[in-house]
Amino acid sequence: MRRAFLKIVDHRATPYVVLGVITLFMISPFIWMGLSAFKTHSETFRYPPTYFPEDFTLDAMYEAWYKAPIPTYLWNSLFMCLIATFIIVVAGTFTGYALSQYRYKGSNTVLALFLFTRTIPPLALLLPYYLVLMKLGLLNTRLAVIFYLIYLSYPLVVWLLKGFFDQFPRALIDSAIVDGCSRTSAIFRIVIPVAATGVYAIAVVAFMWAWNEFFAPFLFIHYDELKPITVGLYYFVGDEYTYWNRMSAAGIYAVIPSLLFFLLAQKYIVRGLTSGALKY
Amino acid sequence: MKLRDSGYGMVLSVPGLVILLLWVLIPFSIVFIISFLRYDNMSPVIPTGLANYKTVLKDPALPLVLARTFIFSFGSTGLTLLTSVILAVCLNRIVKGSAFFRSLVVMPWAVPLILSGFLWAWMFHPSFGPIGDLLMKCKLMSEPLNIYKEASTAMAGVIIADAWRRIPFLTIITLAGLQSIPPNLYEAATVDGADSFHTLRYVSLPLASRPILIGTLITLMFSFRSIDVIYSMTPGGGIGKCTYVLGTYLFDYMYEFLNYGVAASISVILIILTFGIGAFFIYYTLKKG
Repeated sequence: MRRAFLKIVDHRATPYVVLGVITLFMISPFIWMGLSAFKTHSETFRYPPTYFPEDFTLDAMYEAWYKAPIPTYLWNSLFMCLIATFIIVVAGTFTGYALSQYRYKGSNTVLALFLFTRTIPPLALLLPYYLVLMKLGLLNTRLAVIFYLIYLSYPLVVWLLKGFFDQFPRALIDSAIVDGCSRTSAIFRIVIPVAATGVYAIAVVAFMWAWNEFFAPFLFIHYDELKPITVGLYYFVGDEYTYWNRMSAAGIYAVIPSLLFFLLAQKYIVRGLTSGALKY
Repeated sequence: MKLRDSGYGMVLSVPGLVILLLWVLIPFSIVFIISFLRYDNMSPVIPTGLANYKTVLKDPALPLVLARTFIFSFGSTGLTLLTSVILAVCLNRIVKGSAFFRSLVVMPWAVPLILSGFLWAWMFHPSFGPIGDLLMKCKLMSEPLNIYKEASTAMAGVIIADAWRRIPFLTIITLAGLQSIPPNLYEAATVDGADSFHTLRYVSLPLASRPILIGTLITLMFSFRSIDVIYSMTPGGGIGKCTYVLGTYLFDYMYEFLNYGVAASISVILIILTFGIGAFFIYYTLKKG
């Protein structure tokens, strides 16, 4: 019994079969979304459902782009996420670098504090954020969401960057300092250029996290022209019935930017995430 | 005057610490304070001691809500862990096509959770979705599958939609853990007569256990606290509130009932419960390997 089972498990083709099945599961929503975006509205409500669009049409792609303000939503998402990511990564680089290379008394406590912060559910801090932003008169501004996005991924970014800088060759920094570089100029001349790809990868992770956020902008922003794409998507799903084809089209527009960033940085992300998770 | 290295480290940390203080510790204190106030947007705000906590803890729905929260988060994490380990082991075994499969498998990572909920809600739609239709075409079902009709299947549906989005992260972490195992260990095990099950059980999994454990705890914390998928897939908690979890309970008090005092006390409870998982995460992360 066990030998027969082993024969199957050890077969050369087995991993491919298993991977094929699970990969199909993982990409099936993409396929369904990709096919439905080119159907007509009535075809998405046919029973039994069709798979390949019978009436191939670009209407949904067109309507989602021009009638619903998808370009506005995308621009808002890009604007908020890029600014938040920039602030997080700049502040996080220095903090992560210091915590890794220039330990001081209490730096371990600071590190533990960052870890503890990661365990706080963002949902539980939505209320204080909402109230503070209301008091500051910042509700219904992009700034409000940027504020929240900084909170959202800052602890993670510092932690990942710290793990990343732990692997940075200290000799490189030391030799630069011996050559007359100050510690600060060593950061800009040596550390940042060498570490750029890793920092970039961690920035992409932070960006994707920000891109993914729904509840904060849902609560903070009520003007259509300020909503990010996640909140915009939410309004494609109606109470009575949903424009599935337009939602698919909007979904494609929503996924493309983050998927693009992600696939471009994939190799570095794997390295960046795992250096933070495997080595300490 | 030249700073010592440790002083320099402190100076460099300042911007980060300022963010930590303003962005995390202050909101954290505010939510804690509000949880002891009567803040229901109807009457003046006054301190009420533990009244908000009493409201929550005496709510007859609370045990059910907590049970569903645990079923949802452990179900999602369990499915994620199982799928990720299988995927990582397979990806680690093949050479040809590995990058191709890996790129496809990690794609859901780029999908917002809210969209994941919509897509799976539609895929599971009893009339217009493909899953019910395919099951019928394969003669596995005599009538269209309606997962929203029963509590257990609705829960399974949101678990699948949630796990789908979380599998890429854990797969990558597990794969990296497996790849860091020196190949000569496998050779040694094979020479000693170990078969594939033995190597998996006694070499691969134990040596990659640390990243798998930490990755699993991160996944567990995340699925415990995020409600995006539930919110988009089963608005209002579904039939009989069968997917109503602690996060949705909190969001309702904040957004629907506008009772900020009670919402804050649920937030504190959520923070404490998540920290129950988080404590393990911090412990294993800081523990030297």
